[in-house]
Amino acid sequence: MKIDHSLPLEYSTDENRLKILGFWIFLGAEVMLFATLFASYFILSGGTGDGPSGAEIFEITPVLIETLVLLTSSFTIGLMVHAMRLGRQKAMMGFFIATIVLGAIFLGVEIYEFVHYVHVGAGLQTSAFSAILLTTLGTHGAHVTFGLFWGTCILIQVKKYGLTPRTTNKSFIFSLYWHFLDVVWIFIFSFVYLKGMM
Amino acid sequence: MMKELFPMKQVMGFIFSLVLTAVALMVYFFDMSFAVGMTILLVTAFIQAGLQLVLFMHAGESEDKNAIYITIYYGVLIAIFTILGSLLTMVWTYQIQ
Repeated sequence: MKIDHSLPLEYSTDENRLKILGFWIFLGAEVMLFATLFASYFILSGGTGDGPSGAEIFEITPVLIETLVLLTSSFTIGLMVHAMRLGRQKAMMGFFIATIVLGAIFLGVEIYEFVHYVHVGAGLQTSAFSAILLTTLGTHGAHVTFGLFWGTCILIQVKKYGLTPRTTNKSFIFSLYWHFLDVVWIFIFSFVYLKGMM
Repeated sequence: MMKELFPMKQVMGFIFSLVLTAVALMVYFFDMSFAVGMTILLVTAFIQAGLQLVLFMHAGESEDKNAIYITIYYGVLIAIFTILGSLLTMVWTYQIQ
């Protein structure tokens, strides 16, 4: 394995560099997944049938908490990559843990939100609107849930093996995934919630 | 050293993203027309997304820079075509009678 020391560890081998490029291409496909969900949401959001509309069920407080928590977690994962490049393993792990904790808080609030929606009569089968709303939010939430497990596994590997070309590469790719989820949330926040409550 | 763990660029990026969120929230707290509200949301959302990509995701730092940017542009372009095309054929067309 040829290691180029002029680059950050996560880019230091050809394999590592290509894994990062490959992950970007995967994110391109993820963009399409969410684009189809958004397209469906915009088409179906008027089809409320006998169920409630978005304006009737959206609450600003949990949405704001989710947004701030996710923005902050995106900031801490960015600091994780920075600390990793400085070779500060303890600080890097601290930021990593902070990100996972914030992700768990986000998920907790989202679960509360889902319970609230079902409680006020907007379940998965109520109307076209409620179905696509819960599917869109749920797909994002499932990504966050997967991220929590994936991140935890990488964190354990960093603790076990230290900052190696392998573990830093995994951590960097995880940071790309996490930032991407934040980008998706920004569009959900803007065009599902704020547009719905406008 | 605590300071080296919090680079200015990232702290400023975080503050800027909070400001953009606050600007987007104006559509909730103030009365405005649909067109003005949507314009605010589109502008703030796309700046936010760009901020994440360039500042936090380091999109332009490796030698694969071009391939990465082409992937993003392509993905976003197809996403916009899909969303606007769906709206055009299934929502807007029905309003023009």
